[in-house]
Amino acid sequence: MMSIEVTIENILYFGAISLSLIGLFGMMMLQNVFRILLSLVLLEAGANLLLVLSGVRIGGVAPIITEGMSAGVVMNDPVPQALVLTAIVIGVGIQALALALIFRVKRNYGTLDLRKIREKLEKDIAVSNEVSAPGSYQAPEKLTESTGANQ
Amino acid sequence: MNKMILLIALPLLAAFLIPVVAKFSATVSRLLGPVVLAFVLVFVALQWNVVGRDSFAIFLGGFLPPVGIVFYVDHFSLMFSAIIAAMLLVVWPWGQYTAIRQQSLYMLLAASSFGLVLSSDLFNLYVFYELLAVATYGLVANQPHKAAPAAALRYLFVSCAGSVMLLIGIGIIYTITGTLNIAHLATMIGKLHGLAGLSAFILIVVGAGVKAEMFPVNSWVPEVYGTSSKSLSALLAGLISKLAVVLILRVLLMLFQVDVVLDLLLVVGILGVLSGEMVAWRAKDVTRMLSFSSIAQLGLVFVALSLSGTIGLWLAVGLMLHHLLVKGGLFLLADSMPGSFNSLKGLARRSPILGAIFLIFIFSLLGIPPFPGFWIKLMLVINLAQQDDVLYQIAIGVVLFATVIEASYLFKLVRIMYQKNDENIIKPPQTSTSGMNLLYAKFFALIVVVSMPFVSPISDRLKDMSRQSVNAENYIETIMSQPKLGGQS
Amino acid sequence: MTKYTSLLFIAGLSFLLFVIVGYLPIAENPMVAGKAILGSAQQEVGSANIVTSVVLAYRGLDTLGELSILFAAASVVGLLLGKSYSTDSVKTQKSGQAKEYKQFVVLKSLDLLFPMLLVVGMYIIVHGHLTPGGGFQGGVLLAVAFSMRSIVNPGSDKKNHYSITFIEGFAGFSFILIGVLALITDGNFLQPLLGKGEFGSLWSAGTLPLLYLAVGLKVGAELAGLLFELNGEEERV
Repeated sequence: MMSIEVTIENILYFGAISLSLIGLFGMMMLQNVFRILLSLVLLEAGANLLLVLSGVRIGGVAPIITEGMSAGVVMNDPVPQALVLTAIVIGVGIQALALALIFRVKRNYGTLDLRKIREKLEKDIAVSNEVSAPGSYQAPEKLTESTGANQ
Repeated sequence: MNKMILLIALPLLAAFLIPVVAKFSATVSRLLGPVVLAFVLVFVALQWNVVGRDSFAIFLGGFLPPVGIVFYVDHFSLMFSAIIAAMLLVVWPWGQYTAIRQQSLYMLLAASSFGLVLSSDLFNLYVFYELLAVATYGLVANQPHKAAPAAALRYLFVSCAGSVMLLIGIGIIYTITGTLNIAHLATMIGKLHGLAGLSAFILIVVGAGVKAEMFPVNSWVPEVYGTSSKSLSALLAGLISKLAVVLILRVLLMLFQVDVVLDLLLVVGILGVLSGEMVAWRAKDVTRMLSFSSIAQLGLVFVALSLSGTIGLWLAVGLMLHHLLVKGGLFLLADSMPGSFNSLKGLARRSPILGAIFLIFIFSLLGIPPFPGFWIKLMLVINLAQQDDVLYQIAIGVVLFATVIEASYLFKLVRIMYQKNDENIIKPPQTSTSGMNLLYAKFFALIVVVSMPFVSPISDRLKDMSRQSVNAENYIETIMSQPKLGGQS
Repeated sequence: MTKYTSLLFIAGLSFLLFVIVGYLPIAENPMVAGKAILGSAQQEVGSANIVTSVVLAYRGLDTLGELSILFAAASVVGLLLGKSYSTDSVKTQKSGQAKEYKQFVVLKSLDLLFPMLLVVGMYIIVHGHLTPGGGFQGGVLLAVAFSMRSIVNPGSDKKNHYSITFIEGFAGFSFILIGVLALITDGNFLQPLLGKGEFGSLWSAGTLPLLYLAVGLKVGAELAGLLFELNGEEERV
């Protein structure tokens, strides 16, 4: 079982898994939000390939019944193809949404660097709750006093 | 019976039509959502007795398994449907300031939640999970807070990576078994318990765990709750996280009652409890404290799930319902408690009712005797003690230790709230929603108090329902053994 | 620190996935559901393209869910980016007019292309149950046809928003309506109605072509809406 032959199916599986791992690597390692989005696209593409590969048959044809079709012809599994169709459209919707969010973040914070975005995000949350940002060295009492005086 | 599908069709219809109707009459479109939710509530109540002791299945489009999508209706799914409708009505954005499309998003949220508790098909669950995810990104991103889009973006990245893991897990399961129907999968359970099947399940848990605030994938929690309005936080922490657990529950109970998986859930749960309570202890404002406490509480749910079978489900559902009431109520109450702990000085002296409600919630959260939280924690500890694995003994220690930490930070807050504060009485800034939310919080507290004498009958009822839901043979028989299917196999 | 844990996680996951491949029945999966569908699709649904029968009949609810996801995404994008239209529209309009003069050739060829894209898109949608293609693919073409002009010349198509709201609402409504009609007449949501027709002809497979038409319109409207919004944004950033 574990002796892996070099067949076209194995290569395809290898490629699909590698694609999704590259995507995951990018999502975890990169700092530019737009690049992270592109990594997400890669990750989804890899997962979709993996899914559609699960229905492949050796010598199979597309599952469409045509007129001159002989009886013994092998068809690929139609279910994964339908699932992937669904998954791709879902992916498109989410990517568009992420793009719109990136636009808004850029407009609010003027940066695409995830570290800076996170820093500003935490600061904004802390300010709205009138406490010092977690991990900052400013004394919490001082900050709350000053905001209290402002009111 | 087939009319159960209206639970999904009607909210979706309302979601599509709300923006169109709004062009003609704003009032009608604003009423559309609540009317549909109220209808669902009535409908579920009518169905309750129809289900009776026997659960039933709905075959969508009349296609029998394994080819079609199947819905499985039992008392649990009905109970969760009713809770979803009620909770959404509580947090419904009545105010005129909300954009009309936001109401569409709430309806989509409703449809996907009903789908998640009813569906018995893996890929269908994935689709509804994604719909739930997209609707929540939208709601989080459109909060007026300046940081909201950034929080939503980080949430989206974590959650999408999780969803892809879920998809890969489903793909692996389909590859080894050739079916997606959970009942059909339960008949070929042997195939799933190999290395591939178990890793697929782990991928599914990681994927769904993002929304369930599971230990390693919950970095979004404080950011999202920090930027969202309190009623949205109540919805996310109270309801949406539970729905992700329900997804895991279905797959776990029917397919993967294996020691490795249960141990893994236990470890994840313990780490969640510990990390959540530790960070909550250091928090300096109510929202942050509640977010991390919610991570810890969901860790407890995972600990309960690691007990196999009826007991696990019973405890997990009990914990979830309790947490839904208490944390939902606390988040709604937090709308009247803005700012850091210091600015809350003497708040309970100024408004004693608020203080009393807060005390009721935290007593129940901690598990102080007559409150319902006590009985659930007691049952959890007793049942953990009956296991002879070392891990479970550690879990008991962790649960008790976590309660101590929890008590320490909650009572710290109580002390601040009851402190004398003569020098400067600052009235807490009222948001437009805090009055309404305070009312709902009072209502939630009332439920907690009223349920106290009925803890024993409620828990018996829950146990009955768990027995019904855990029964895999009944599940398989209801879905798989249809007259027409006899010839195939 | 986080970097190392992420690297460790990825290394573990890659090891796991590559090992799992050795255990998977590659190219010969059991295909239980798939075989049952291949065997019965022609009698039960009557569409020549079996993938279509899976998408719209056997797993019609998935498709409805996916349309809702697109709708949700388009709504959110509209909410996120639509707020500042009123303030910026004057500026974009002006620059738009200036560009229009320069891009005479491009705009004229777009006019030429528009009817063709429309025909091809509609053809692909209505033949979805016979050939590879269908509502999604055709819908994308429709979206491109309607948003081409706005891509070349951002900010020129303000009134389209109104019609998009209508089309997406109407298409979603009709998809669910067909499903609910089936629920009322035959007792099952989204069961194919109207008889099977002659196998392989355009009027076959019952309500499937109608459903695909709704899907196509919906996808087209949502994607066109997304493109409009994202395009308008480009002008402002």
